[in-house]
Amino acid sequence: MRIKVKGRDTYVATGGKPFDAKLPTLVFIHGSGLDHRTWALQTRWFAFRGWSVIAPDLPGHSLSKGKPLTSIEAMADWIWQLLDELKVKQASLIGHSQGALVALEAASRQPARARSLSAIATGAAIPVNPQLLETAQNNRPAAVEAMLTWGFGNAYQFGKSHVPGQAPIAVGSRIMASNPLETDLQACQNYTNGEAAAALVTCPSQLILATQDKMTPLRSGLALAEKITASEITKIDAGHMLPIEAPDQCLAELRQFITRLP
Amino acid sequence: MSKASFFDPATIALHSGYQPESDHGSRAVPIYQTSSYAFQDVAHGAALFNVERGGHIYSRMTNPTVQVLEQRMAALEGGVGCVCTASGMSSLMTTFATLCSAGDHIVSAAQIYGSTATLLKSTLKRFGIETTFVDINDSAAISRAVKKNTKLVFCESIGNPGLDIADIPSLAAICRKKHVPLVVDATFATPALHNPIAHGAHIVVHSLTKWIGGGGNALGGAIIDGGNFDWGLKPEKFPTLNEPYAPFHGISFFEEFGPAALSMRIRAESMRDFGAALSPQNAFLLLQGLESLALRMPKHVENAGEVAQWLLAHDAVAWVNHPSLPSHANHDLVASLFPKGAGSILSFGVKGGRDAGAAFMDALQLATNLANVGDSRTLVLHPASTTHSRLDAKAMKAGGISEDLIRVSVGIESFRDIKNDLANGLRAAQRTQKNADQKDGRKTQQKTEQTRKQTATAKPVKKKAATKKATARKTAGKTAAGK
Repeated sequence: MRIKVKGRDTYVATGGKPFDAKLPTLVFIHGSGLDHRTWALQTRWFAFRGWSVIAPDLPGHSLSKGKPLTSIEAMADWIWQLLDELKVKQASLIGHSQGALVALEAASRQPARARSLSAIATGAAIPVNPQLLETAQNNRPAAVEAMLTWGFGNAYQFGKSHVPGQAPIAVGSRIMASNPLETDLQACQNYTNGEAAAALVTCPSQLILATQDKMTPLRSGLALAEKITASEITKIDAGHMLPIEAPDQCLAELRQFITRLP
Repeated sequence: MSKASFFDPATIALHSGYQPESDHGSRAVPIYQTSSYAFQDVAHGAALFNVERGGHIYSRMTNPTVQVLEQRMAALEGGVGCVCTASGMSSLMTTFATLCSAGDHIVSAAQIYGSTATLLKSTLKRFGIETTFVDINDSAAISRAVKKNTKLVFCESIGNPGLDIADIPSLAAICRKKHVPLVVDATFATPALHNPIAHGAHIVVHSLTKWIGGGGNALGGAIIDGGNFDWGLKPEKFPTLNEPYAPFHGISFFEEFGPAALSMRIRAESMRDFGAALSPQNAFLLLQGLESLALRMPKHVENAGEVAQWLLAHDAVAWVNHPSLPSHANHDLVASLFPKGAGSILSFGVKGGRDAGAAFMDALQLATNLANVGDSRTLVLHPASTTHSRLDAKAMKAGGISEDLIRVSVGIESFRDIKNDLANGLRAAQRTQKNADQKDGRKTQQKTEQTRKQTATAKPVKKKAATKKATARKTAGKTAAGK
């Protein structure tokens, strides 16, 4: 569906079901340079089983208009603005990579509105290699290639795909090529509030981490878990792109967590 | 061009999409000879049908062996996805039917495979889809032919059998400007020689039956979705990818799958409804070929170049056509678009026309006369009497096909043996021509004698007229021989 957030045309995927503010709401937040399609194999399950799902394209990404937001804090505020537009008081926040930083920051800014937090393949910070930042600013295709080389685990580098016939690395490459990767990476690089934000999280939380993660190493995710009260940790043997590389395990972990929420 | 894998093509062809499976560690890709797949439970089956999770339901849509071939073809062509079908023709029909509906229009190169021309000209017309055929070498005409209801521009990267080389960067520029996808049949080139997507094409179609299989033992086709066409820019122009699709709870394929919208729609609709599925057995055979493609293609190209040069120097040959020859109309494009070679199909004319050509074909022992190309073995064909026989004279001419054209699909045997076989054929052609010349000579002698006798008994004024006619016949004969 398309809605206006602060007057800007915004695309929000709803998992194949119309959005209904009366149902418990799940917000899926994508990572750097990506879009709502990250969540294709998670959102539909929830949307068809009693949840309202929203997976927006952040401003300036894929189907959403507007200038890209330049900080994780601004993205976190934007998520609540989006929920305001939809008249949603409380929501479960689910984020991947940069999206997990956004979810973490959003949960810390409005703790009463965060029903739960699911942080996938992330840490309290995502410092970006300066060379990658420079490459993203000067040669986006080269940066995309580097991101995808590091982003996908071994099996996907060998052409594995959970969707028969699809080439996920190439799909990612096409999506990232037209999105503001350099702005997103800079926002990640600049974000230093993760540990402080983690201390403010009061909702139930889970971390789903990847053992082959080269973008946000497992140890940084485990370190974040220590800062969040009562967080659950799951490790999956795959690369950084967990929602795409290990969609079934990722969904299973989200299901077992979200269906247990009070 | 997107990278689906960071391995080199030769490695992709061997490894992509499959690692030894966990049950038995099979190193080779197993043949999953099954129509259907057991659901773990009711919820699992429901999730698969609702596209909540990936996986296999029924082999008409997907099959694990076919999937490996698809992953490899997508990676080799730099696409975001691939759908394999039962044949190259079904890949074309599936692509056209996914993008076009009744009332829509296609712009196609005139220089294409006969059956594709028939599909576009006659079969699709029955379904309300019109095609305008344009000379592939006339970019301006192609641009002019694009109408408001045009849904795609189609060409072959190397035309069959005229061997015209499509200037894909120029065509892609036209297509970008007009916002229509460029669909390229790249069968004659294979991904080992040329990647149309890297040059701006949007969709690539292959007959896998040819060089990719290489063994001449399995039919198959592939549609590679480049993922580089913005289907959402003018959503009303591509309703099949933008409008809600009722059978899938009203999803918009573009919104849901973005760059992979086309291949997902093909899978969801065309494979389900038309059912032109590639069999797992054939996928396995085609994979065996694909694994050695990077080695075979250079040999095909090398042999074709040598055969072309050798034919060019032969007295019995009227003309030779291969993109590697400077005389080829598109030779200048070869260096930029086909640096690894422009395939292994060549055509030539045998002096002496149809009869000499027939003698040539029948005298061959190594090369086989049949309606296929891209086998590892050398193949020959007379298109005017076979593959293109359903075309009228005008379409034949537009397709660059003459009565004397013999198509050779040069194999990977030793060049010496191919050359010796062709030499035998050409000797037979020369004998036939010589016999025909002698016969003509006898006829001419008889006619001359007859004329002489008539002239001897005729009045002086008639003698003058007969001499004029004889002179005219001689001139006409020379011109014909020169042509």
